[in-house]
Amino acid sequence: MPIPSSNRYATFDGAPPPIFRQGASALSKLIFFCALAAFLMVADVRFEVAKPMRSVLATMLYPIQWLALQPSAGVQFVARYFQSLDAAQSDAQSAHRKLAAQMQRAAVAEQLQIENHRLRQLLDLRQRPETTGVTAEVIYDAADLYSRKIVISKGSSHGIVSGSPVLDELGVVGQVTRTHLLTSEVTLLIDREQAIPVLNTRTGARSVAYGDPLSFGGTLELRFMAANADVLHGDLLTTSGIDGVYPAGLPVAKIDKIERRADSAFAKIHCTPIAKISGASHVMVVTPVAHLPSPSSPPHPPPSESTSATIRGTQS
Amino acid sequence: MSAIMPRGTRQLLLPASPGFIWLSILFALLANFVENFYFGGSVAWLPDFLALTLVFWNIHQPRRIGMGVAFFFGLIMDVHQTTLLGQHALCYSLLSFMAITVHRRVLWFKTLTQAVHLLPLFVAAHLVELSLHLLFGHAWPSWHLLLAPVLESLLWPFASFLLLMPQHRSPDPDANRPL
Repeated sequence: MPIPSSNRYATFDGAPPPIFRQGASALSKLIFFCALAAFLMVADVRFEVAKPMRSVLATMLYPIQWLALQPSAGVQFVARYFQSLDAAQSDAQSAHRKLAAQMQRAAVAEQLQIENHRLRQLLDLRQRPETTGVTAEVIYDAADLYSRKIVISKGSSHGIVSGSPVLDELGVVGQVTRTHLLTSEVTLLIDREQAIPVLNTRTGARSVAYGDPLSFGGTLELRFMAANADVLHGDLLTTSGIDGVYPAGLPVAKIDKIERRADSAFAKIHCTPIAKISGASHVMVVTPVAHLPSPSSPPHPPPSESTSATIRGTQS
Repeated sequence: MSAIMPRGTRQLLLPASPGFIWLSILFALLANFVENFYFGGSVAWLPDFLALTLVFWNIHQPRRIGMGVAFFFGLIMDVHQTTLLGQHALCYSLLSFMAITVHRRVLWFKTLTQAVHLLPLFVAAHLVELSLHLLFGHAWPSWHLLLAPVLESLLWPFASFLLLMPQHRSPDPDANRPL
């Protein structure tokens, strides 16, 4: 009987391992890869070198992520299919009611906008730029225990730039921090390293709200507010518009808890975000104010003057 | 005879097919993604299927799946989890190094004992990741994190059973090939 030529049932797969030429030792490989990882980490924090690499990997990864999303999408589809007709009808009704209310507000807002425009012209104030937005779907919550980010389904190929504010139907959700070709990473307001300039709509006082992911399942914190500052439970905070990123007047958070302690000159103020931070399914990405062409501004306004004009504009 | 079939196995294993190795790693990556999509970043104790699979192949096929593969898949996890590029890569390379260091010894034991041997490896990998995060100024996540390596080593016997299944097939013996 001839001996089969295929090596399929041999004890060793392929050629036997070499005895002498074994390549680099495991320890030297470890040192090489550790050094490479350390370099990448530093490069990711300090330089732009790692950015194209991350973008390429993210684009490569997109089909696999899409595949991994299909089971949950299927479950959702089936659940939605079997949802009762009553629930669907009541949903539609409430949406209609909301829409009617919004229509009324939109009409008023349009009228106000025209009025505002003319008043601003009268006062010779700089025009506030109009923002444009791109809607996107939230693909997933990034599974990092140490930061609060989401990944959305629009990227640099859809014209999204890093730094853009991200909103949902209720208020500000966060800010785009990295863009890839087809996806973008959005850092949520409650992330530890995220800050947003806000304005207390009751008093007009400006401050900065910092993310606080650990307390009460994710809140915002107003730091360095004097212990006797005029802040009340339930005050609405909106974007102040002086940072050149967020358009003015977007709802951000409501003051929730105020702790005034005798041993500290500052009050500890916690606010709850207004937007559905962790449950948003669709978001809108708005072009940052600084990237917008300034409409019909007076020729060459000095920067300091323009800033003060914007501040006055916000308070007026 | 004992030279060819040591490792406490009763049966001589077939050679591992490279296609199956890569498919299993890809599947582990998918499992990690699905796990992340369902739980987001809120649960600290989730086991890392990709790390488990990489360790498995590092131990069983160190000539095919080495540190380079582990490093590359670490980068992929970094991009997916939007963490600092290189964090998972460093942990996976370290895990791979430790796995390759112990691979000759570990395979002499039964799978349950192997799991006990591998627990320190998984603990070390998670501690390195945690210390990197603390080094970069992130807050302490939660004590549940220490449950993840335990779960990973508890999953080891199942992983061994599943991933060795294709190699356990009968090698159709005949008169000339009694094995």
